Amino acid sequence: MSFLHERWRRRVSLLVTGCLDEGERAATLAHLERCADCRSDREVLEGILAELSRDPQRRAEPDVAVEFVVARVQARLDEVVRSRSWRIGWFAAGLATALLVALLVPRLIPRLVSPKGGAAGAAGVALAVSPEPAVRQLELPEAALRRMERTVVREQAARYLAEAQDVLVTVASSRGRCRREGTSVDVGEEARRSRELLARRALVVDVEGDAMAAARPVMEDVERLLREVAALEACARQRDLDEIHDSIKRRKLLMKIDLMEKELLG
Amino acid sequence: MQLSDAELMRRLARGDRDALAPLMERHYRRVYRIALAYLRSPEDALDAAQETFVKAFVHAKRWDAGTEVLPWLTRIATNQAIDQYRRARRRTTRFEPLEEGDHDERISAEGPSPERRVLGGEVGQRIRHAVDGLPEPQRAVFVLRHYEEMSLEEIGRSLGLRLGTVKSSLHRAVRRLRDRLAEVHA
Repeated sequence: MSFLHERWRRRVSLLVTGCLDEGERAATLAHLERCADCRSDREVLEGILAELSRDPQRRAEPDVAVEFVVARVQARLDEVVRSRSWRIGWFAAGLATALLVALLVPRLIPRLVSPKGGAAGAAGVALAVSPEPAVRQLELPEAALRRMERTVVREQAARYLAEAQDVLVTVASSRGRCRREGTSVDVGEEARRSRELLARRALVVDVEGDAMAAARPVMEDVERLLREVAALEACARQRDLDEIHDSIKRRKLLMKIDLMEKELLG
Repeated sequence: MQLSDAELMRRLARGDRDALAPLMERHYRRVYRIALAYLRSPEDALDAAQETFVKAFVHAKRWDAGTEVLPWLTRIATNQAIDQYRRARRRTTRFEPLEEGDHDERISAEGPSPERRVLGGEVGQRIRHAVDGLPEPQRAVFVLRHYEEMSLEEIGRSLGLRLGTVKSSLHRAVRRLRDRLAEVHA
């Protein structure tokens, strides 16, 4: 086949995919009238594209509503932020340790190597390492302690809600067929996580305290749904999942969790 | 008042997460369909769409304000789908020794492949076989043209390719698909 003909073949490919401008299209059609090879090539390619157009996924619409995906993205971003905070925390702790060592070592070394060493030297080290301000720091006023406690409670509740939201979103958007039964959906992992969260709730979240007053209704809704998920069989019926999905939607629970998390974290 | 894509991107770049929902409402379907054309599984496509928007938020500062948002998102979605596809292929080709007595259980638990379950038909299988055989960037160009009906210029902008490269990739993709489908029919 000549180089010129190869160029026509390229144009035929672009013609059948609808990618030629008017001028090129007219020239190619004129060539097709003269060239039987290219005409048959065009027919074959059109047949192939027609077959590809029958692909059932060509115009497929997502079967999960956008608000669920938004919630999943927000949950993933929380994870990203948390892992970054951890990294920053570790870095800061490392830096602080390095600074402390850099400050203390020059002071300690002369004492350790001084001729007065022994018990007196060791006492000197103890004094140098535990200065008075550190003792004063331990005597925090009660109000400050309460504030810290309140912050911890609220942070734990926010984390709990974030994890619960993750489970609920996954369940509501589950479409993967169960391996054992054709019409069921595999939610075994989510049911297990729900049970774990419910068991943990009493330990990590003090719902009765003042700090959690505003979060109580959301926590109750979340807990109710987690109980439903926890009760699901590993291979759940699609109908049961649809009910949970509707329940989440009706209560606008994902949005409420988002708002509550923000409020809890201040 | 509806905010433009550009304004939403500026907000994302400032760390405003509330700008995600309107941006996703506008572009989620397209991002999902691109991923689905690549990965052929609704669950994987959903994961890819989710990661696309996570990356859009994390890298919002890198978006060039002089360009359109959709081609930028399309590029992220395509790269994400390619990454996931490669990871999945590595996983399936990795050798996993089975313990004695485990064979029957594994075989009965696996059942039909996810694609077979999703497509449930011969057409999907044939198309998957054909499209899977396309190398990059032919595959990306073909998917964006055939599934999303994007113009060649849009495809070029989305994939960072010159117009000539887009045209020759599309031509080669069509030819290769013809050969692959002929193999299947034979």
